[in-house]
Amino acid sequence: MSEDQARQAGSLRVNVHLLDSLMTLAGELVLSRNQLTQGISTSNARTVEVAGQRIDLITSELQEAIMRTRMQPLANVFDKFGRIVRDLSLSQDKKAELSIHGNEVELDKTIIEAIQEPLTHLLRNCVDHGIEKPEIRLQKNKPDAGAIKLKAFHEAGQVNIEIEDDGKGMDPEAIAASALGKGMVSETELLTMGTREKINLIFLPGFSTAQQVTDVSGQGAGMDVVKANLDRLGGITDIESVIDKGTRIRIKLPLTLAIIPSQIISLGRERYAIPQVNLDELIRIPAAQVKERIERVGNAPVLRLRGVLLPILNLAEILGILRTYKDPATGEEKPERRINIADRRSPDLSSRAEENTKTDTSEKLQPRKNKDRRYRAESAIHIAVVSTGTFRYGLLVDGFMDSEEIVVKPLGRHLTGCKGYAGATIMGDGRVALILDVASLAAMASLSAADTSASHLHQAHGDKIKSLKDDKTALLLFRNGEQGQCAVPLDLVERIERIRAADIEYAGGRRVLQYRGGSLPLHELGECTSLGPISVNEEVDVIVFRIDGREMGLMVNGPVDAVEVTIEMDQRTLKQPGIMGSMIVNSRTTLMVDIFTLVRTLLGSAVDA
Amino acid sequence: MAAPSLLELATFYVGETLCGIDILNIQEINNHTEITPVHGSDNWVKGVINLRGRILTVMDMGLRLGLLPVKDSRTLVVGYEDEHLGLLVGEIEEVVIADSLKIEPPPPNLNGAQGRFFKGVFKTDTKLIALLDLKTILET
Repeated sequence: MSEDQARQAGSLRVNVHLLDSLMTLAGELVLSRNQLTQGISTSNARTVEVAGQRIDLITSELQEAIMRTRMQPLANVFDKFGRIVRDLSLSQDKKAELSIHGNEVELDKTIIEAIQEPLTHLLRNCVDHGIEKPEIRLQKNKPDAGAIKLKAFHEAGQVNIEIEDDGKGMDPEAIAASALGKGMVSETELLTMGTREKINLIFLPGFSTAQQVTDVSGQGAGMDVVKANLDRLGGITDIESVIDKGTRIRIKLPLTLAIIPSQIISLGRERYAIPQVNLDELIRIPAAQVKERIERVGNAPVLRLRGVLLPILNLAEILGILRTYKDPATGEEKPERRINIADRRSPDLSSRAEENTKTDTSEKLQPRKNKDRRYRAESAIHIAVVSTGTFRYGLLVDGFMDSEEIVVKPLGRHLTGCKGYAGATIMGDGRVALILDVASLAAMASLSAADTSASHLHQAHGDKIKSLKDDKTALLLFRNGEQGQCAVPLDLVERIERIRAADIEYAGGRRVLQYRGGSLPLHELGECTSLGPISVNEEVDVIVFRIDGREMGLMVNGPVDAVEVTIEMDQRTLKQPGIMGSMIVNSRTTLMVDIFTLVRTLLGSAVDA
Repeated sequence: MAAPSLLELATFYVGETLCGIDILNIQEINNHTEITPVHGSDNWVKGVINLRGRILTVMDMGLRLGLLPVKDSRTLVVGYEDEHLGLLVGEIEEVVIADSLKIEPPPPNLNGAQGRFFKGVFKTDTKLIALLDLKTILET
C-alpha cells in the first residue's frame, strides 16, 4: 500500500497538449534569450527592451503551464469513496447512497494526496454516526437509504468541498455540555456562543478522545485530527448541523501549496517570511507607548491587545541571534544591550565611566535624564500576531516589509535538525529568505499550548462580554473623498492594502483587483450610499473585508487609522442604506458603515448575476 | 590499464591544508554568492544560497574539518547522491591528474575527528594533496 502510494507520488499523468505547449514555450524562451544576448552584445537598447518584454510574457505563460501540469482532478480521490461508503454501510446494516459532484475540479497534486485521509475519515463518520439504521429512518419519515452528497466546486480562487448527509445530525447543546464538562469552555463563554459555534466545538483538540462524548454527539471521533490536517494545507473547515436533518461539513482549500501568500518581516540583516494563514495582524507600537503597552508577568513580556493578554516571543532570542539596533544618532549598528523589550537604551555606561575617570569631573555617572528618550520613530517596536490551531502569540521582529506571494522550497538534509523553519524562499533580489514555522517557534519557546489557547479563548470572551457592557469598540477610521469621516468596526477588517490605481482591472463591468491569486471585487461607498465618489489618486487604500467567507475590497481615502472609542451612535439623523448611523469621533462627525448590508447589496447582486 | 586508474583532482586550500576531491563530483565553482545565515544550525553550516532557484546548504569546510573558518572563500557546488551542497573553501588551485594506485592511505597520526574526513593522500613532485571523503563530510 505504502509502496503504491510512493509510486503515485513519484509520477504524474499529464495531457499531451499541455506538454506540447510547454515545448513551444521552451523554444520561445530560447529564441528570446538569443535575441536578448544579441541585443546586449550590440548594445541595442530597443532589441533588449523587446526581448525583455517577450521573456516577461513567456515566463508568466510558462509558469502557468507548469502549474497546470501539477493540477489533478479530484476524481483521483473521489472515485475510491463509492466503495468505502458501500462497504461500510453494508457492514453496519445501513443503507447509504453516495452521490459525487465535481469530479473534474482540479487541485494541486500535493493537496489531492493530502486530503484523501481527512475526507475518508469524514465520510466514514457520515456512515458510522450520521446515517441511522433503515428502520429508524423510516420512523422519522425519511427514505430508508441515507443520502451522502460529496460536492466540489470552485469559488473565489479556492476549491470548496462539501460533505453532506441527511442523518441524525448533532445536538449543539449536548456538545456544549460535554465541552463544559471537560473544562474546555466556561459557562460564560457558552452564553455568547451560537448554535454553529457550539457545533464547531468538536474541532477542539482533545474533544473527541473521551468515549462518552462520541456517544452523545455522534460525530466526534478524530475531528480535531481532521481539522489539524486540513489546517496544515491552509484549508478552512466549517460544520453545520440540524438535528434529524443532517450535517454539512464545508472545506475550503487553496488551489496550490507551492505558492503561498506571506508577510515578509525583517530581523537584523535578514528577512523572514510568515505565511499569511498564520498571521492575524501586525502591530506597530510607537516608541512613546511601549512602556504602557508592553507589560511583564514574571519574566514573560505580554502585550495588552484590545483587552486580551498576548504572550510576546522575541524572535531573535528564539533563533539565538545577536540582536543589533541602529543607533538613531549615528546610524551605525550596535549590539542590542536591552534585556526587556520595554527597557530604554542609554549611552554606553562603561565607556562613559571611563571618560569620567579620565576627566575626573565632579559629576560622575550623570543621573538619567528625566525625559524619556524613546521618542524616535526607529525605536517603535513591531509585533506580528500569529496563530496556529493551538497557539496565539505576538512575535517581536525588527520591521515589517511587503506582503508577497512566495514559492516554498525545501531546506537541505543538513538543516532538518533546525526547528523553527518551514522552508526557504527566494526573494525578488535573488537572496534567500527563510520561512518561519509558527508552531515550532512556539514549541521552541516552550509556550504551553493549552494555557495560551484556553486563556486566550477565555480572555477573548471575557473581553466580548466586557465590551458589551461599556461598549468600547475598536474602529477603523477612514475618509470617503473629501466628505467627512467614516468608520467600520475593526474586527470585521481582514486587511488594509495600499494599491496603485493602475492595478485596478475592469472585468464584467466591475472593478476587480488581483489579490493573493484570486480576484477581489472592489467597491466604494458611493455605489450604495448617497456618499460621493472617492478621490482617486495614483494610490488608493483598500480595506479588505471577509464576510461569510466572501471577500470584498472597499476603496477609501486615507489616512486610515484605528481608534478605540465608546460608541454612542445616533441612529436617526444620518441613517441611510449602508450607513448605520453617526457619532462623534475625535471631534468629527463620523458615519458608521454597515458592512453587512454593504456586502449583501454589492456582492449579493454579483452572485445573482 | 593506465586510463581507468587516472583520477582528476580539483584542489583547493582549506586553511593551510591542500585538499582535493574528484572533479566529477564538482558541478561548479561560484565566487560571490550571498549567503543567508540559518540561525540554530550546526556551527559549520554557513547558511543557504540561491543557486538558480534551488536552495543549497553551504558548509564552511574549515569549521567542518575542525579548523579555523576559511577566508576569502568561494563556493564549490558538489553533487552527492541526489542533493547538491555548497562547500566554502579557500583559494582554488589547479587540477591535478592522479594515478589512483599511487594514492596512499592517510597517515596514522592524522586521526580523530579530522582523520575521518580524509580518505587518502596523493603526493605530487612538490605538494601533498589530502583527498577529502565527501561521503563522511556530507553526512549529517
